Amino acid sequence: MTSGERAGDPALRSEAMAEIGNLLGLGVLSVDKTLIVTGWNEWLERATGKPRAIVLGRSLREVEPTLRPAAVAAFDRAIQGSVVVMSQALHEYLLEAPAPGGFEHLGRMRQSVRILPLRNEASQSLGATAFIEDVTERVAREADLRAAAEAAQRADEAKSKFFTSMSHELRTPIGAIAGYADLLASGMFGTVTETQTERLARIKTVASHLQHIVDDVLAFARIGAGREEAALTDGDAITLAREALIAVEPLAVKKGLAVRSRLPADRMPIRTDQVKVRQILINLLGNAIKFTERGSIELEVSLVDEGRTVAFSVLDTGPGISQANLTGIFDPFTRVPNHDRPKPGTGLGLAVSRGLARLLGGDISVTSEVGVGSRFTARIPR
Amino acid sequence: MTLSEAETDALAELFNVGLHRAAASLSEVTGQRIIVDMPKLVICEISEIEQRLAELVGGEIATVHQIFGGSVAGDAVLLIEHEKAAALARLMTDGDAATGGRLDQSAREVLTEIGNIVLGACLSGFGDMLQLPVSFSVPRIHIESLRTILGSLLIASNEPQYAVVVATQFRLSELAVDGYLVIAVGARSLARISEALRNRVP
Repeated sequence: MTSGERAGDPALRSEAMAEIGNLLGLGVLSVDKTLIVTGWNEWLERATGKPRAIVLGRSLREVEPTLRPAAVAAFDRAIQGSVVVMSQALHEYLLEAPAPGGFEHLGRMRQSVRILPLRNEASQSLGATAFIEDVTERVAREADLRAAAEAAQRADEAKSKFFTSMSHELRTPIGAIAGYADLLASGMFGTVTETQTERLARIKTVASHLQHIVDDVLAFARIGAGREEAALTDGDAITLAREALIAVEPLAVKKGLAVRSRLPADRMPIRTDQVKVRQILINLLGNAIKFTERGSIELEVSLVDEGRTVAFSVLDTGPGISQANLTGIFDPFTRVPNHDRPKPGTGLGLAVSRGLARLLGGDISVTSEVGVGSRFTARIPR
Repeated sequence: MTLSEAETDALAELFNVGLHRAAASLSEVTGQRIIVDMPKLVICEISEIEQRLAELVGGEIATVHQIFGGSVAGDAVLLIEHEKAAALARLMTDGDAATGGRLDQSAREVLTEIGNIVLGACLSGFGDMLQLPVSFSVPRIHIESLRTILGSLLIASNEPQYAVVVATQFRLSELAVDGYLVIAVGARSLARISEALRNRVP
């Protein structure tokens, strides 16, 4: 036999593939056309506990009495010339072997398999070779990730349900408190003294504040649960900006802050959810007023992104936010800690505003300088 | 180089038989009833393929790629949109793979097996019905944009390259998945296919 003939010798080729399999950490099993085992590497000896000396030369069905019909069919297809893939998710395994150490709870070793035809120089079929990869660890890791993702989703759903039902339970009594305070103040139940009128006004203020907090929590729960939907209508960005300014102006005046606006003269048509954009602007302007003790707040409207997006910028002359505190400022329940006095609120306003902006295909960004002020910009596609 | 209408029809029929074989194999493997629609077939120069496919698929795409050789040689690719590929893998494994729409390793393996079965069944028709037997490389899965995938098929060659695009739909449970097979071959291979088809066309 010449060296060329030796190189093409199927037994030698099986031997070489078996050795490569050992080096790569793969099981290599070769069979001839009648499913007689012609190759069985050390990896397979270790995985199955069956030494090659007693396996070689015997029928694969005899070596593996539990060999499933799908496995036999796969070898048959490969012997006829096809490349066969047996994925773990659909077949679990080719050869029965115990799960490796640390994964005994899974019972069997999970395997990913490729079976290739074995041919001679003249392309005649000699049999097939299966390359077997132990993927037990990966399967266990994927199952853990799946379980964690499912648990997180369940927790998220439970949290949203809790928020929604609690908020509804709270809204009704708050409405009743404000309503009865109005009725009492109107004198329907008898004469009201000046002191009582002042106390009733306080009850209304507190009820209104509580109502605002519950609305934030409800909006946050709806966005988190994916139940908030955008109702797109045609409108005008300048009108939206003016309406938001009118809504917050009394608060600013009460604090002695100047309210400025920089709005283009022409209409700026925008097809979006007008109510949600107004809510975003009122949230951002309300925040600016809340955190600014002196100076001004300003609303600027312009077109960006080659005219495809409207940028609403709210500028204030408040204390500014440090770089460290800017991180995560849009996360729910985040409050900037370095203000002189704690401000009322849930820490949900910015999270809700960003959620609404994203729902409309836009986003909110912030730049700030300590001692100078902040600029929050909502970009909303037209 | 192009195929006549009769040859194109005969080639579509050959792929139809292959796809039904593939559906039967997939049904057997998954234990679920899988059916395929009659494929639509287009033959074009390889340079036109991006424009043709861009009308059908977009975004990230899962592809299973196999090189084949023998009497005819070329590249065979199965393309499925990422989202649909994840849904397909999830349904076929009863939710064990592609949880949350991600193509995890298990999902990629399942798609590789599906692609191998589909491509193998379709191209085995070359051997069974046209006497042009082919052998395959080991299938590889890629998750990429259409342009990147097609870029890998546009190999510099001294002969014109053609693409046979086969569009079909796999249906199982409530899910309908559009799948596209691209068979890229050189002019010599296409001429051999044309000749073999002519010999079969009455």
